[in-house]
Amino acid sequence: MLYLSECLYNYHLRNSRRRFTTRLLTFCFRNLFRRKARTALCVLGVALATTFVIAVGSTTMRYTTVIKEMNVLFSGQVMVVSKDAIVIQAIPIAGGLFQESLAEDIKENIKEVEKAVPVLFITPIRFEEMIQLVPVNFSMGIPVEDWQLIIGPTPLKGGVGHFPTNESNSEVVIGASLADQYNWTVGKEIMVNGHKLNVTGVLDTKLALLNRCILMPLRLAQEIYYSKSKSVNIISVKPVQGCSQEELADAIEQQVEYVNALTEDERNDMIQPVLAQVETWNLGIQTVIFIMSLILVMTVTIMSISERRRDFATLDAIGAPLSYVFRLVILETSLIGVLGGILGIVFGSLTAIVLSSLYTNIPLAQFFPTILEIVPPIYMIEIFLAVVVVCCIGGIIPAINATRTRIAEILRTEY
Amino acid sequence: MMKIKTVDLTKTYRVGPSRIIAVDKVNFEVNKVTFTAIVGLSGSGKSTLLNLIGLNDCPTSGKIFIENTDTSLLSDRERRKIRLFHIGFVFQTFNLLPTLSALENVELSMSLAGKSQKEQREKAVRLLENVGLGDRLSHRPRELSIGEMQRVAIARALANDPEVIIADEPTGELDSKTAKEIIGLLFDINRNHKTTVIIATHDEKIVEIADMLYTIRDGKLKLEH
Repeated sequence: MLYLSECLYNYHLRNSRRRFTTRLLTFCFRNLFRRKARTALCVLGVALATTFVIAVGSTTMRYTTVIKEMNVLFSGQVMVVSKDAIVIQAIPIAGGLFQESLAEDIKENIKEVEKAVPVLFITPIRFEEMIQLVPVNFSMGIPVEDWQLIIGPTPLKGGVGHFPTNESNSEVVIGASLADQYNWTVGKEIMVNGHKLNVTGVLDTKLALLNRCILMPLRLAQEIYYSKSKSVNIISVKPVQGCSQEELADAIEQQVEYVNALTEDERNDMIQPVLAQVETWNLGIQTVIFIMSLILVMTVTIMSISERRRDFATLDAIGAPLSYVFRLVILETSLIGVLGGILGIVFGSLTAIVLSSLYTNIPLAQFFPTILEIVPPIYMIEIFLAVVVVCCIGGIIPAINATRTRIAEILRTEY
Repeated sequence: MMKIKTVDLTKTYRVGPSRIIAVDKVNFEVNKVTFTAIVGLSGSGKSTLLNLIGLNDCPTSGKIFIENTDTSLLSDRERRKIRLFHIGFVFQTFNLLPTLSALENVELSMSLAGKSQKEQREKAVRLLENVGLGDRLSHRPRELSIGEMQRVAIARALANDPEVIIADEPTGELDSKTAKEIIGLLFDINRNHKTTVIIATHDEKIVEIADMLYTIRDGKLKLEH
């Protein structure tokens, strides 16, 4: 008889598992909403933790991405910068000017050089902008015949307009983000450092650096920023075929004492420890926040279980399997994780764009359409899953406590 | 009919340095459908004995045989299945799950037993109608009177058609009128469903109608008739 009933039990259990789970879920919801204030506070706690993780994580991730992108522009080339320049990824953000003619000297004197392009990279850092982790607006002066070498095959938005064709005229192309922010369109006249410039195109690119950049002929850039002095702060050098970047860099450094010639790997190596530290800190902060969430969920659930000992004892008395009780508690904490995770992702994404706006002085409205670029969906999913898993883990000890509750003990101790 | 037999069943508890014998070498047997009453004062060991018989607790020594199977040899999972399929419990304080409606409380046992949703719903409605709660199906325990709660508990105990119902002072919290109704209900179940009822009580009315009467004092059980 016992064997027969067991077979029947297993057969029906398989067939009705889906409905059984739905019912279990309803049961969990009701249990959670039995103590509305406590559940709401716990969900809010998890949501705040998720918000913090998303906001800090996506903001730092965006900055590291922008910094990494800087190298994309000069991919495959050796960058020559002054030894006294302050550089991020070999892009000088302060000091380090030298004469444009150095590019010609390098081209003539070093046989490994196929092309040497002088570039003037301007980061107008002002005191009030020092709070920014990386500069937000850039200007770049490039000889008109060498656009492609620096920015690659970047098209213009909608195919409208053209790249500047003459070194001495006042034509510029601008990044899409700048265009949106200041409502600059093709044909518009803009003022930069007291000079009137004509916008001849808007760059269609995903690179944050180019999105915030004014590209202009080298001569024009020198005129605007350095009063016609023929100074530059970068020489982008392309090696001849068969020559490695390392060999070329060594040759340049031997030839010119006051410059650093940086290969792509060296540029990455310069920034990698900083990025690694940022990521380590980020991971550390996330870990601490997740542990705090785990403790919060565990504490609240232990409290809830101790208040509901009679219910669990009743389940034990009527023969509920241990797995049922275990699942009930784990599902409750998972629901807290799901609710907290969803709220946290919404709040976190909003906080991330507010932070981006604050740190860049770019209007908030401009960030809304790019919210999925600032907080990528894959990152949202990762954090969401992490939160749910953390909450599940937070439910394990309370669930074990719940499965250990026995009716005989309750009847003996509670009367 | 499920046969239950205990042999020298003993349960002791440690309270601080002292040892309390709650059930002392009890020999108890039910081998036909009966309405069995166990009467004793508070603290005499009634609830402990019922918990042992219902496999809710493990004895310190002695054996419990169900269908001639030594339950001490059963795993926790097997003991749970016996509780789920073969024994129904009615507690003094009803022990209904407060977040579930009357209907859901009854359905829960069947749901755990793997019955289909349709079967659960039809049977739960029928059981609740049988105990006079056809109009209180969707009410939560807090919306029911104590008499109604005990009726829901009885319906739940019957959900999986158990062979035995163990009722631990089911009228202890009830007024005399409701208590009489509940006793009548349990008696009907015993007679009409051919279900053995083992009931721990102080209630004299139960003593009068019981087929078998045991008294328990200081953990020692004695058959009266």
